[in-house]
Amino acid sequence: MMRTLAIGGFLVGLALFGLVEWLARREGSRIPTLGEVCAYVMRYEVGPVPVGRIGLFGFWWWVGWHFLAR
Amino acid sequence: MMEQPHELAVEAPRTWERPVVCVPVLVALSLVGGRFPSFSTEANLYVFGAGGVLIWLGLTNRVPRRPAPQRLASGAVWWTLPVLVFGVFEGATFFAAAGDDFPTFSRLADPLLEDRLVRSAGWLVWLSAFWGLVRR
Repeated sequence: MMRTLAIGGFLVGLALFGLVEWLARREGSRIPTLGEVCAYVMRYEVGPVPVGRIGLFGFWWWVGWHFLAR
Repeated sequence: MMEQPHELAVEAPRTWERPVVCVPVLVALSLVGGRFPSFSTEANLYVFGAGGVLIWLGLTNRVPRRPAPQRLASGAVWWTLPVLVFGVFEGATFFAAAGDDFPTFSRLADPLLEDRLVRSAGWLVWLSAFWGLVRR
């Protein structure tokens, strides 16, 4: 029962990512695409340090290591 | 000779930035990555090597970037919905620590990623998204 709930929850989460991206790509949409959100986050800098860029690259590197190397 | 206006001067993409070049390269790298099983030294070195090169490319100005938006439209708030749903389930399954009875996302993905082809597909998703980030 709880296993089904977890699987269902993750599938709903993934489907929502797809749905919002699809809505964002429609003509005249007020929703930015995930790529645009990432690009905006990566603009964040503290002084000369590109904190947003380093943070997002670090997160995605960790995702790869977590799923593909361990 | 008249100087060309900036807005009309379109820089041709470099050879390795064209899809006809970078897609086969990403596929080849993914097929190699898919050969390395979890917890192997090769898999760790490959992830750290590939990720390290991409981060180096992304932090230096060697790859042209697409212009980033100056501000986000109000509709950006919709992105909190999938993040929240996924985060709630990941947090709940992680802190419950109930193993296969209430599994985390990575625990569900592990048996799928044991298949070499699925693992290569996972590599392709990871590398393509990373390449997309580098160019942003």
